[in-house]
Amino acid sequence: MTNTSHEVAKGPHHESGAAPSALSAHSIVKRFPGVLANDSVDFDVLPGEVHTLLGENGAGKSTLAAMLCGLYQPDSGYITRNGERIALSSPRAGLQHGIAMVHQHFRLVERFTVAENVILGSRDLSFRLNRSELEDRVSAVAESFGLPIEPGATVGDLSVGQRQRVEIVKALYQGAEILLLDEPTAVLVPAEVEKLFENVHAMTQAGKSIVFISHKLGEVVEISDRVTVLRNGRVTGHVSGRGTTDTRELARLMVGRDIELTTQRASHATGHEVLQIRDLSLNVGGVSVLSDISFNVHAGEMVGIAGVAGNGQKELAETIAGLTSPTSGSIAITGSMSTDRGPIHARELGLAYVPEDRLGMGLVPSMSILDNLLLTRDRNFVVDRASVEPEAVRLIEQFEIKANGPEHIARKLSGGNAQKVLLARELSGGRSATKLLVVCSPTRGLDVGAIETVRALLNDARSAGQAILLISEDLDEVMSLSDRILVLYRGSIVHETPGESAQLATVGAAMAGLSTEGNA
Amino acid sequence: MRSPIRIVFEQRNETPKYLSTLVPLISVIAALVAGALFLLATGYSPIDTYTNMLSDGFASSRGITDTLGLSTVLICTGISAAFAFQMNLYNIGGEGQLYLGMIGGAWAGLALGDRLPSFVMIPTVLLLGALAGALWILIPAYVRSRLGTSEIVTTLLLTYVAASLVDHFVYTPGSFFVTKNSAFPQGRLVPDSASLTAFGNTSLYPTFFLVVLVTLTLFWLVKRTEYGYRIQVIADSPRAAHYAGINANRTTLSVMLISGALSGLGGAVLIVGPFGRLDPGITMLGYGYAGIVIAALARNNFSAVIVSGILFAGLRSGGDKLQISTDTPIHIGVMLQGAILLFALGGEAFRRYRIHAVRTERTAQ
Repeated sequence: MTNTSHEVAKGPHHESGAAPSALSAHSIVKRFPGVLANDSVDFDVLPGEVHTLLGENGAGKSTLAAMLCGLYQPDSGYITRNGERIALSSPRAGLQHGIAMVHQHFRLVERFTVAENVILGSRDLSFRLNRSELEDRVSAVAESFGLPIEPGATVGDLSVGQRQRVEIVKALYQGAEILLLDEPTAVLVPAEVEKLFENVHAMTQAGKSIVFISHKLGEVVEISDRVTVLRNGRVTGHVSGRGTTDTRELARLMVGRDIELTTQRASHATGHEVLQIRDLSLNVGGVSVLSDISFNVHAGEMVGIAGVAGNGQKELAETIAGLTSPTSGSIAITGSMSTDRGPIHARELGLAYVPEDRLGMGLVPSMSILDNLLLTRDRNFVVDRASVEPEAVRLIEQFEIKANGPEHIARKLSGGNAQKVLLARELSGGRSATKLLVVCSPTRGLDVGAIETVRALLNDARSAGQAILLISEDLDEVMSLSDRILVLYRGSIVHETPGESAQLATVGAAMAGLSTEGNA
Repeated sequence: MRSPIRIVFEQRNETPKYLSTLVPLISVIAALVAGALFLLATGYSPIDTYTNMLSDGFASSRGITDTLGLSTVLICTGISAAFAFQMNLYNIGGEGQLYLGMIGGAWAGLALGDRLPSFVMIPTVLLLGALAGALWILIPAYVRSRLGTSEIVTTLLLTYVAASLVDHFVYTPGSFFVTKNSAFPQGRLVPDSASLTAFGNTSLYPTFFLVVLVTLTLFWLVKRTEYGYRIQVIADSPRAAHYAGINANRTTLSVMLISGALSGLGGAVLIVGPFGRLDPGITMLGYGYAGIVIAALARNNFSAVIVSGILFAGLRSGGDKLQISTDTPIHIGVMLQGAILLFALGGEAFRRYRIHAVRTERTAQ
């Protein structure tokens, strides 16, 4: 940072006064058609506190957060700010009361600079923008909380962690006293998570309140002063005490039953090579996306690919699945070349592929479960749905898919059930028996209960001798499931380690592009 | 202090079944009400006008057969639009493909002359009309499937070219399509072997039943076959099609060609039916454009296209007769057609959202 201006950000500054809580929700009820999203929920956050709102998808935590920042209005109940009752008719009204939300999917203009994004929406701007003065103001706010940002940089060039920082600076610049952070660590590498926690600490030191919204029992919970658990729109428990939280107890509060997230690995020796990749490179529009990748996956083995999003994972999966032709190199499935032969040929060799985008790529949203089962299979000219129906019924039962039957439309399934349909189809084989399963972020966005099921299904498939390539941005998942871990960074495999002896710090460093051998 | 009322649009999770019928129905009624206001403002009695239209369009044996006769071509252009729209391909050049179908059909009828029997001639004329319609959309279809060029622009612009082509063939002296040495700009009549006879004293031709059969066949094709399955996958999610190894380019091309052929069939239906010749008057009738409205009102449901095609035919033929029986302008039918489209599109909001008024609670602010 070259900037040392000491201008203070303009914006409302509320004195916390004697009121006990900075923001509280009292008996909030919010109904959506057919759903009681919040059922008399109480929630409060103190000045300088980190409070996590924990719950599965659909537990009502996002709805509550949306009401706390003014996006929705409660049907009944009310919100107080420093003990005073307030009505938040819009996110702008929320901002006027010093409440800001940092969404999981950032709302930034990629072509704008950091400073331009930060001031976007401010009403006190003069018609003619004085760029350097604005940049000074923005970096003054950022620096006062130890958030290093380059105000002149274009947002499109920034990493995900940096973009998140821009969102936080934007909220602070607008005078936020209470920050609601939606799944803040989901997109970050371990080093970035650490950095975020430092920033959070700096903010709470300055008296700001932080509300984390999360469905994961991860690091977020560990640095929280208090945790409130929601299930089915109701508060099921409060846990307080930094670092002393019992994750098993939290999981039980979230799901309503005991959860066992297994971390078993292949116990038996792995079999023959099912997937062989040699010197695989892919250039897209002259840019190298994958370079010189070589590895094998054996029968009964799960190989995990770790990496930060956008380092070539999607392209690797699509190249193996025959959706993209590599620039050079070769892919063999069960010993036969599948390079350049297309997705149907790859499937005939025994490939099954669960893409990250389950609704929209893996499944056709407007089609029924039955029709979706037909997607990767042979179909006659007159599509014979009647003969597939018994299998559909059997798979729905076997995979415990919550659906009204084979005619249930994919779009109307919950995330977990949609993923089960996709896994059911891919694991049960179509054009030939499944020998190689490529899965991308299989548990992303799923509930703890569904994660448990999906992981168990993957373990079963491995035990049954299928070769599995697990590509996931969820490092915990890769670490706990894989027999072998490869780290993908800028399209190259930069690190390889057995799953059992893998070190979080080493893998995390490799993901961030820091060399793990020699120069420290 | 009275709190203000806000209108809230709440997205529906699921559209109730009854709304899919109710919304088009109310759209038609709303359009009639809007039309009534217009009639009142211009000094006509809406009730008389509508009663006349109803009896001329539907509620008399003469009226209903005229309506069904006219609906034959409108169902063709309607299904042409719906067939493309279902895959998010916006062929709005049905009008031009219709002209080409007429040119192709007339050419077949005139070129083959009286040498062939009717049971060969009629299918040939219809087939060539369809083929000419498909040919007219070939370029837009090809560039759309290969390069992603917007078919909206290309199909629309080619309609103007098609209209010029019709004029060229009719107004050029010595043209193949006109009577030799005749100064009168009108196409030659096709031979009797290429003409169908209407039922009794009506303007209803057997082609009506053929067109209904074609529509039902397409319905079956989309619902039951591999081809229809592909269409549904690509329409909903091109990425899923790619994932499953479905060739979207080829399907896009074929869907557009079939759409063009259906409008072309509409043109050929006019050759074997009421017109019997290449008639430059076709460019004034807008049957092809009406197909877009028919498809929109039917929400691309093929069997509903038959119903909305008949409804539109009734409005048109009822409106046309008004001018004769009363002095109400002929354009009332066309105006109602436009109004129905506007209300049907606006009505989509009611299908997608639950709309209700709430009183915003205001506390200390």
